[in-house]
Amino acid sequence: MHGYKKRDTLSAIGMLAPFMVFFLLFIIYPALKNVWYSFTNYNLNVDTWIGIKNYTRLLEDTTFIKAFKNTCIYAFVSVLSLTTLGFLAAALLSKGFRGVKWLRMLLIFPYATSMAAVSMIWLMMYDPNNGFINKALRAIGLMGEKWLFDESLALGCLIFVNIWKNIGYCMLIYLAGINSIPEELYEAATVDGAGEATRLFRITLPMVRPVAFFVLITTMVDAFKTFEQVQIMTRGDPLYATTTIVHQIYQYGFNEFRMGYAAAMAVVLLAIVMILTLINFRLNRSNESEVGIG
Amino acid sequence: MKKSKSDIVFRILSRLFILVLALSVAFPLVMTISVSLQTMNEIYSADPVIIPNKLQFENYANAMASGNWPRYFINSAIVTFFTVVISLIINSMAGFVFARIPFKFRDVLFVMILLGMMIPTQVTLIPVFTLLRNINIFGGGDSGLINTYTGLVLPFIAGSFGVFLCRQFYVSFPKELDDAAMIDGCGRFSTYVRIYLPLSGPVLASLGVLKFTGTWNEYTWPLVATSGDEMKTVQVALTGFRDEGEIYWNLLMAATLIAGLPIYVVFFFAQKHFVSGLLAGSVKA
Repeated sequence: MHGYKKRDTLSAIGMLAPFMVFFLLFIIYPALKNVWYSFTNYNLNVDTWIGIKNYTRLLEDTTFIKAFKNTCIYAFVSVLSLTTLGFLAAALLSKGFRGVKWLRMLLIFPYATSMAAVSMIWLMMYDPNNGFINKALRAIGLMGEKWLFDESLALGCLIFVNIWKNIGYCMLIYLAGINSIPEELYEAATVDGAGEATRLFRITLPMVRPVAFFVLITTMVDAFKTFEQVQIMTRGDPLYATTTIVHQIYQYGFNEFRMGYAAAMAVVLLAIVMILTLINFRLNRSNESEVGIG
Repeated sequence: MKKSKSDIVFRILSRLFILVLALSVAFPLVMTISVSLQTMNEIYSADPVIIPNKLQFENYANAMASGNWPRYFINSAIVTFFTVVISLIINSMAGFVFARIPFKFRDVLFVMILLGMMIPTQVTLIPVFTLLRNINIFGGGDSGLINTYTGLVLPFIAGSFGVFLCRQFYVSFPKELDDAAMIDGCGRFSTYVRIYLPLSGPVLASLGVLKFTGTWNEYTWPLVATSGDEMKTVQVALTGFRDEGEIYWNLLMAATLIAGLPIYVVFFFAQKHFVSGLLAGSVKA
């Protein structure tokens, strides 16, 4: 087809150029460059091609394997909790009762707060000596825990922070889905004698399945990118119990300046995120033809 | 009746769920405010203090005096301002092109932009760092654009989500608008400036609020791209409290609240745009 007007092409180039320059320079080029780095021993000075050595080393790096495992546990528990709790919160807060708007706003509040601030708040809560949680536990005669300093509890503590911060976001997305369910479905069910619980699990739940899937994928992608709370709250300690993939990238990239090796880790992360997002695109498309969400 | 009985149980359970949820979300926030108003003696005491004996408002002043906070705020404000303004201009223009102007390779380019949305910034962190380190123009020194405002802003304005958002918005405009503008002698660019831009309020508000929150709250890039106290943003400065020998929790919580203040103001007054931006990004039309 040669139906393009020259003038149109020229205006398109002119109007796209400002964005494309930044996009190519700071997203596409670095992404490709990162793949290149992953095959070198780049350390800010030299970058010699070393083939797949970085990748074979990854497979034997017990710390990276630990980080990978931690990230998977973090993602799995976060996603499971957020998709179910977010759904329940949205379903129960979708009906108008007094103060419901304020409740919704309260739940979104931590989401609007920066992860740095959220991390500080929870450092205060978890502090073994002066933190509120242990003070409250001791007040009722319990011992208290070492929380972030306890190898078996630290990762769970971080996961809880993640759920606390993001539950409002999940609720919002579910709410949009729930609000688009036709009211007649509920009326018909009520006439048939369905109780509230039946309506929740037989109508609302199946109708929001596409939304649930979206929430699942976004929270999972988000969890695989976990870094800030680790860097701020635990630095990956105790004994690497809370280190994650991105925390390892940061460690090798910016503390040890073994950037080639860090780049190989970044490629692993990129692959995971790409696969998850592509699954999302696919299913989003096939869902749209059946149920119009939007 | 059996049914109404199960309804009552359901109602009690659901109210209980909401209560527990609301309390667990609210409580840490309440404690943040509480601790920010306590004395260190109250913090060190074994009793869990919720309501401080005497509200220590001077904690806020002391927190701000414990570092170069006016400077951190100016840094964050400059970075956020330029990121938001430049993003809005270049994203809406590009969104218009993808929605309205037919040209060769348009679809290929658009797919590339969608792919670009998937690439996590954590993956491009190292190459972007080394790239900026090697740029010596636009006020770059020995370490290039690292530790400059330009270096902080540039990676933020490259994100392609805004282009996608604006395109989806403009696609829903009637095509007759363009035809009418053409008849009046408008070119593509003046059609955009005179007709589309004045109607872009809602999408630019949503995108603006999202960009504002995202940039102000960003931690990782400023952590990597700044060195020394001068260029620290608010978020990076905040986490510096943790590295001091003795943590003054009251000052830290005061600083935490002040650091979030611009976000809370925007969130409170523009909640609608915040929410609609999030939803526009999630539900693909």
